[in-house]
Parts: sequence; structure tokens; C-alpha cells
Amino acid sequence: MIALVAIVAVLLVIATAVQILKIAELRATESGKEIYEISAKQSKAQAFLLMVFLVAYFGFFAWQVWKWGGLMLPVSASEHGVGVDELMNITLWFIIPVFIITHIFLFWFSYKYSFSETRKALFFSHSNKLEMFWTIIPSVALTVLILVGLSNWNKIMTPISSETEHVLLEVCGQQFMWGARYAGKDGKLGRASVEYIEGVNALGIDVSDENSKDDKIVKGEFHLPVGVPVQFVFRSQDVLHSAYMPHFRAQMNCVPGLKTQFNFTPTITTAEMKEKTQNENFEYILLCNKICGAAHYNMQMNIVVESKEDYEKWLAEQKEFGAE
Amino acid sequence: MSAHQHPHEEQDFLFKYVFSQDHKMISKQFLITGFIMGFIGLSMSTLFRLQLGFPGESFWIIDFLLGSWAENGVMLPDKYLALVTMHGTIMVFFLLTAGLSGTFSNLLIPLQIGARDMASGFLNMLSYWFFFVSSVIMLISLGVEGGAASAGWTIYPPLSALPQAIPGSGLGMTLWLVAMAIFIASSLLGSLNYIVTILNLRTKGMTMTRLPLTIWSFLITAIVGVISFPVLLAAALLLVFDRSFGTSFYLSDIYIGGQVLEHSGGSPILFEHLFWFLGHPEVYIVLLPALGITSEIVSTMSRKPIFGYRAMITSMLAIGFLSAIVWGHHMFVTGMNPFLGAVFTFTTLLIAIPSAVKVFNYITTLWKGNIKFSPAMLFSIGLVSTFISGGLTGLILGDSALDINVHDTYFVVGHFHIVMGLSGIFGMIAGVYHWFPKIFGRMLNNNLGNAHFWITIVSSYGIFFPMHFLGLAGVPRRYYTNSEFPLFENLLDINTLITWFAILAFAGQLIFFFNFVYSALRGPKAPQNPWKGNSLEWTTGVKHIHGNWPGGIPTVHRWPYDYSKLNENGDYVTGEDFIPQIVPLGEGELDGGGH
Amino acid sequence: MTTISLDNIKYKAEIRQKTAKPLLWIGLISIVMFFAGLTSALIVSKSNSIWIKLEVPSMFFISTILILFSSLTYQLSMSFTKNNQLKFATITTILTFVLGISFTVTQFYAWQQLYQSGIFWAGEQSNPSGSYFYALTALHLLHLFAGLISLLVVVTKSLLKKYSPTNVLGIQLSLTYWHFLTALWVYLFFFLKFIA
Repeated sequence: MIALVAIVAVLLVIATAVQILKIAELRATESGKEIYEISAKQSKAQAFLLMVFLVAYFGFFAWQVWKWGGLMLPVSASEHGVGVDELMNITLWFIIPVFIITHIFLFWFSYKYSFSETRKALFFSHSNKLEMFWTIIPSVALTVLILVGLSNWNKIMTPISSETEHVLLEVCGQQFMWGARYAGKDGKLGRASVEYIEGVNALGIDVSDENSKDDKIVKGEFHLPVGVPVQFVFRSQDVLHSAYMPHFRAQMNCVPGLKTQFNFTPTITTAEMKEKTQNENFEYILLCNKICGAAHYNMQMNIVVESKEDYEKWLAEQKEFGAE
Repeated sequence: MSAHQHPHEEQDFLFKYVFSQDHKMISKQFLITGFIMGFIGLSMSTLFRLQLGFPGESFWIIDFLLGSWAENGVMLPDKYLALVTMHGTIMVFFLLTAGLSGTFSNLLIPLQIGARDMASGFLNMLSYWFFFVSSVIMLISLGVEGGAASAGWTIYPPLSALPQAIPGSGLGMTLWLVAMAIFIASSLLGSLNYIVTILNLRTKGMTMTRLPLTIWSFLITAIVGVISFPVLLAAALLLVFDRSFGTSFYLSDIYIGGQVLEHSGGSPILFEHLFWFLGHPEVYIVLLPALGITSEIVSTMSRKPIFGYRAMITSMLAIGFLSAIVWGHHMFVTGMNPFLGAVFTFTTLLIAIPSAVKVFNYITTLWKGNIKFSPAMLFSIGLVSTFISGGLTGLILGDSALDINVHDTYFVVGHFHIVMGLSGIFGMIAGVYHWFPKIFGRMLNNNLGNAHFWITIVSSYGIFFPMHFLGLAGVPRRYYTNSEFPLFENLLDINTLITWFAILAFAGQLIFFFNFVYSALRGPKAPQNPWKGNSLEWTTGVKHIHGNWPGGIPTVHRWPYDYSKLNENGDYVTGEDFIPQIVPLGEGELDGGGH
Repeated sequence: MTTISLDNIKYKAEIRQKTAKPLLWIGLISIVMFFAGLTSALIVSKSNSIWIKLEVPSMFFISTILILFSSLTYQLSMSFTKNNQLKFATITTILTFVLGISFTVTQFYAWQQLYQSGIFWAGEQSNPSGSYFYALTALHLLHLFAGLISLLVVVTKSLLKKYSPTNVLGIQLSLTYWHFLTALWVYLFFFLKFIA
């Protein structure tokens, strides 16, 4: 019933609009013009709206920064993240002025040079000098961005050397949860493969491998000691997933059939971050960030960063894989 | 010109309209089909924006339109992914590639270069009908068991290879692949024609440097298409093999549905490489024609030559070339060799340079112009704005170190919708407003056009700008809802605001559709050259005839940008502020902007 | 590129003369990119630890000889046509077709050889390296079928005496495509032999 009423309403609106258009056309012809001719006055009106839009657009941008600027991620909780955030700032300091200046020129010229019967446009077709000017300046700016960017990238993607003390942690993605496994005292992760998945052994660890005996599997959350580098190994059991830990400026795809790696050093404990963000309920989090199926939106695991002592205490309480 | 026709015989309906080999008719076919697909894609996004803005709330319209895809008026999570997937596929390929290139390349190439028709009317006709069949199959896939493809428009395996992983990866995905294979054939057939026609069938005097920038953009786009689409076909074929024959090109070490699968030795990353080798050039295949159209409109409506004609060509060539070597920037976080990542960062940031040159040239074209603001001009200015706004955030995404934290978040969604989606559709709409008189022989209503522009640009920025904030705050894309994470609790209002703008944008397009249909049927009859343009298409009659010019094809004597050219006395050379290409050069007059 | 004045109505033949070859060439480029994508995929897949380097089955050598010969006979057919020796032209075209069919047969035998030596296309016992062998050669063969069809058209028109020294466009197009198929096969052959 509602559908019928809606359809009739729509048809009536269309019929009305058609009539209005016909009248407008007639009126125009009567004054000796075609309805589609664009007068200087009409151009001026649009030009004015363009200037209004420019102000509104900038205002909208500013309003968003004001309203939501405080909702962005807190300060980086990892060592390399500091450099990343700095690079982000440098880049924003470049692109925002460019955004503002180009838009001002674009809309100001549109407004200033709107149609006038008495004025002639300027036949100005090219200038090699100008072209060089605005080729060289962006090139220089981009070179800076590239160099700073790549130096950061290089630092981030270098695996931890084996001499440095670090936590070795495997995170395995599957539809629709995460499994985490610590390497244990021997510092090595036992072999794992989908062939070994059976019953309780959900991560597919090879029981015959010596190295897997002291591995520790944890559920629901994993802990990290502050100030100690953590070397992640990622894998997936079924489809592509992505381990995204935004507070640490960390992300790495989890690929079935391939092991990927990422490392970072946490610098702020969960307790400290609760202080910083004035939020008692704050938790670091691991999210899935690569479309993986129906419940992709609900694949998470908490991360707790704490002092080394608290971490050792917690780890000691976790069960070893071999101790069945 | 139809193959078997004598000048005085009636062409039967089938050959005149349905299987027409006339480029003008084919262009109309692409336009209508493209817009229908675009409307479907737009409706899909409006629907899933309802879910995102009001998560879990029951809507009558969702219940009515989605049927079994929704429960109690709330769409199901995996069907949300189906809608997202189909929205992306339809918009990128069917609206902005076939719809945009198919319409304007077909319409303008023969008319602007001075040819009777395309090199092969037969292949051209096939190109459209392959596109039509492909569209039909894509739409059919919406209704099959398991639903439509649901692995994102990027269809990465294993999710797209395994029906056990998500229902849409069953029959729906198979139909998607079949439809896309036919689509690729359509695109290649079109590109063949465009390239050969431009290179071989130009009229006397039409040298390459007297071509309008639209033609240059269509040529470069077609070349990029010939190089990149076959690789997508290869990628899709290998996926078909993995899905239907049990090969292991992309699959390895998978445990799903309680069993270990037989595949081993494959890699999903291989698919990503092959896909993005097309995928990145694809966004420039969308963008370049829009940029070419903008050059034409800005120049004509400002009554000034386009600034930096040769620089514009060079930058398009640079963009076309670079587009083929930046694909890895979609894969920074796949665990690829960091050195590769560095190379792709370098090439990706490089592509900003020719893009910047084009923006500055557009703006300089406006300087000291005498601008009439038709709806086409408004949308063209809008395109320059969206190209700047969306392009600049590309500098963040292209920088590998920065991409780590924004990859696959709403930051990316905001970026590509503004720089590709809005720029692409603004270019297409501007082209429709500007060349409507050529296509339909009538004029679109300017007041409705202006209203359409203002509603569209305001609502579009309202939708996509806030997404940058969501992305910087860590919100991933392709999430059915953001309400499962305490982290995103205070961002839910942003989603609701975006949805309101989306509904407004949808409503705004209805004005355009009304204007389009009304004007095509009974809009005011168009004059031959309503915008007082220089290029050859405005020398043909308002009524379409096969072969375009009733007598001989005109000879061209100058480039198409002699607007407001003055003689020594400071008067216009012809008495009016434009000199069409067919007007011979005067005594001592230099061609091409005085080069 | 010279432009021609298209003032007269009977320009369709003129346009065809001018544009048929460029159209074919651009089509060939797209086919090249298709196989470039596949062979690049093979190189990427190769880096997986599970990859087994395979031997090219001996039948492929025969295939190569046959297709090289077929290009020769087809080229001869073109020369004969240009020299107005139309009977010889028809004979060599038919010979080309027969060689093309023989090539096809050797492909099937070669796949049989692969199967016998335990290299499977798909399934549990298959290895991606084997899958690529089958895929690349089968896709080449598919393109060859299009070539065989064009050969049939040329043979038929040749028998109907449609060609003459001044009317060779149809043969030229089919011949170019056929040479392309030969070149593609030689490329695939060496690629599979030394890289895969």
C-alpha cells in the first residue's frame, strides 16, 4: 500500500516538474532568448556561489578538525611510530597549504573572471618558464618526502638481529579469531602446518618438533614487555587476514602458505596509556584489516603492554604446549 | 555506415538501432547502459550506508529491496560484503570505464578528428554488445544461490576461490569472472578501434598536435588499456583454474570447513601482483578521459586556449607510462621485499608531478579568461577541486612508511572515492552536459544542472572528507559495522553524518536523471554550436547522419584552441572570440598558440 | 602517417585497406600482454620452495619443427599469390592447414607424455610447475584454433579464386597472425625449457 502511494507521489512530482519546465521555456522565449543561453548575470551568480563554496569547504575542513581532531589515535606507543608520526606531520604540513593555495586560486580566478560582455579574455597559451617552475618545485618537495619516507621504511622493515633480546611471537589468523604463540625459553617456534590441525591443536603445531615443547599458546589477549622489541611472525590458516595494531603503527598481512614478519618496540604500558587518554577502559587492540568473510568486522584480540616483571610473571602462568 | 546499405533503402530497425555500427548510436548505447549500471551501483551504496550510519536498525527499504539478503530489515553481514563488492565492481568498470570511455571515445573520436566513423564499425558494435552481455551476467549474479561475489571488488583469493569461506564465492563469483572476461573483451575491442582510428583516419590537416586534448586522452587511455587489461584476464583465468579445476596457482596450506585442502605451492600474493598490474592503470583509465574532457570544457567556456597544450600531452604520457610501474603501492603490507616497497614508493610519488602540472595548467587557463558557468563548466571546476583534494592524500598513501597505518582503512576509501570516483563521475557528467546537444540534438536545462552540481559537490565532500578522519583513527574498511570495538565508539556519529550526506547525494542525482530524460525527449532544440567551440564536432549538423558530414570532410588549418585570438589592431581575428579549426590561417598568422 | 581524403562514398574498402593491419597489430599486442602476464606469474610462482623444475616433453620439439614449417609454407603461399601462381598458393595454404592440425595432434601427444611421467594438471599430486605447462600450451593452442579458422577461410576463398596479386589483404592478415602464433610458440618453448 505504502509502495503504491509512494509511486503515485513520485509520478505527481515528475508531472509537476515537467509543467514548471515548460512554463520556464515559454517565459524565456517570450523575452527573446533561448532558455539555455547563459547570461553574464547567471554566470556572476554561479561565480558568487563558487566563492561561498570555497569558504564553506574550508570551514567544513576546519570544523572537522575541531570536532574530531581529538578523536584520532593517541601518541605512538612504539619506537618507530614516533618517526612515522613525524613523517605524517611533515607531509600534512606540505599538503594542507598546497590544498588551500590551489583551491584559493581555482575559485578566486573563477569568480574574478566570470563572464562580461565588455571584456576580452587573454590569449595566453603557454609559458615554458611557468611549466618549469611548477615542475621543479613539486619535484623538490617530493624528493624530501621520498627520502624521509624511505629512511623510515628501511628502519621499520629490518628484522631484529638475533643477538638483541626480544620476544618472539607468532600470530595466526583464521576465520574469525586470532591465535598467539610465544616461542618459549629456547627462543624458537616449533614447526606448524595446517596438516597438524586436530582437535585441541587448533594452531597445527607439530608435536614431534623439539622446539614446540616450550611454546606457549594464549587466548583472548597477549602481553608484551615495555621497552623490549617484539618480533612477530604472522601466518594464516585459511584466507588472507591482516594484523593491524594501529596504536603501534603496525600492520602486516597474514597469508596462508607464507610467513610474514613485522617488529616493533612498545614504549608505553597499558596503564600509562589509560592515564594519557583519560580513559579507564582503554586497551591496545589487534584487529583484522583484510576482508576475510562475514565476521571480518569482529575479529579482535586485546594486547597488554606492561613492565618486564609483570610480563614475566604473566608468561610464567601460561601453559607450555608440551606439558599435556 | 552500415555494411550493406544503399543510400535510398530503409535500414531495418535491427541494424539501425540495435546492432548499429554507427559510432554515434553506439556512444548512446554505452551512455544509457553505463548510467543504468551506475544507478544500480549508487543505490547499492546508499543501502549499505544505511547499515553503516544506523547499524542494526531495521529499514523497510532494506527489507523490500534485499529480500533474503536481510533479516527483519537489517542486512546480513556477508550480504553487506556482497553489496560492497558489487558496488565497487559496477562503479569502477561498468560506469567509469565502459560508460565514460565508451560514450565519449565513440562520440568524439570520429567527430573531432574528422572521420566518417571508427576504423571498424563491426568491432565497435561487438564492443558494445559484449559490454551489454557482461552487464546482464553481472546483474544475474546478484540473484543466484549464495549471492553475488563478496570478496571485495579486488576479489583476492583464497576468499574469492573458496565457497566455504563466504557464500558469494560460489556461483556468484563464477558469474563475476565470466562477466569480467566478456567485459575485458569489450574493452579491448573498443581500445583497438580508438587507437587505429586516431592514428590512421584523421582528416587532411589534422596533425597530431592539432588534436583536441580529449582525443589525446582517449588515445593514451586506450593504449594503457591494451597493455593492462589482458593481465587481468590472465589473473582471472588462473583464478578460474584454481576454483574449478583444483590447480594451486594462488592457494596453499589451507584448513577450512574442518578439512585441509589439497592445494599447495600457490600464493595469494601472485594474484595481487597480477590484479594490481591492471588495477592501478585502471584508475588512470578512469581518470584520463575525465581530465581530457575537462581540458576541452575549461578552455571553451573560459574563451581561452588551454594553457600549456604540449605540457598537458606530455603529462598525460608520463601519467600513462608511470601508471604501469606503481602497482606495488597497493601491496606495501603484504610482506614483500622492502626494497621493492622502496621502488614503488619512489615511482608512486613521482606520478604526483605530472598530475600537479595538469592542475596548475587548468587553473592558469582560468586566469584572465571570460568564463561562462554552464553546468559542464561547474562540474569541470569541481573535478579540478576533487583531483587536488583526493590527489594530495595520495602522497600519504604512496609513502610506504605512512601507508602501514592507513592501508585498508577509511583513509583509503576517502582518497580513491574523491580522486577517482568524484573526478571520474564529474568528468562524465560534465561531458554529458557539454555534448548533450551533440548526442541528442537538444539542450539540458541549466537551472536544474546548476542545482544538480551544487547538491552533488556539497554532499559528495560531505560523504568522503570525514572518511579521512575515520581512517586516521584506525577504522578499517569493509567492516559491516564499527560498533563492535570500544576503540571506535565515539566515531559512530561520523558514520551517521556520512550517511545523511549519502542520502542527499542520491536525491541530487534524481534531479539529473529527470533533466536527462526530459531534455532528451522534449528539451529545447539545440543550435549547431551552442558553446561556440572550435573543434570539428561542432561543424556537423544537429541531426545525425551516417558519415557525419553531408559533403566532403572539412580540412583543418589550425589547432582547436584559438579562443580570443587578437590581430594587430586588438580585435578578434574573425570578429568573434573563437576561430574554428576549419578556418584557414591568415597572412603571417602562426598556428598552435604561436609555437 | 598519411591521411586520405574520404570524400567519396565507396571508401569502405579504402578504410579496410588502411586499418585492418593496424587493428590486427594492436590485437596482437594485447595477446602478448596476456602471455606476458602468465609467464611473469610463472616466474613469481617459481620462487616457492615446492617448485619442481620439469623437463620439456620430447613431443614439444616435433611441435616446434611443425609450426616453423607451417610458417614457411604459409609465407610461400603469399609469394605464390603475389606472383599470380594461384594454384601453388592454394596448395601451400592447404599444406599449412595440415601442418597446423599436425601441430595440434602433437600437443595432445605431448600432454599425454606429461601425464604418463606423473605431471598432472590439477589435484593433490599436481605441482604448480606442471599446471603452468598445461595452461600455457593449452592457451596457445586455443589461439591457434582461431588461426586454423582463419586458414580455413583463406583456403575456401582461395579455392573460390577470390585472391589475386592486388587482392592479398585477407591472406596478409591471416599470415601475420600465423607468424605471430609461431613466434609465440617458440618463445613459450624456450621459456618452458630454460626457465620453468
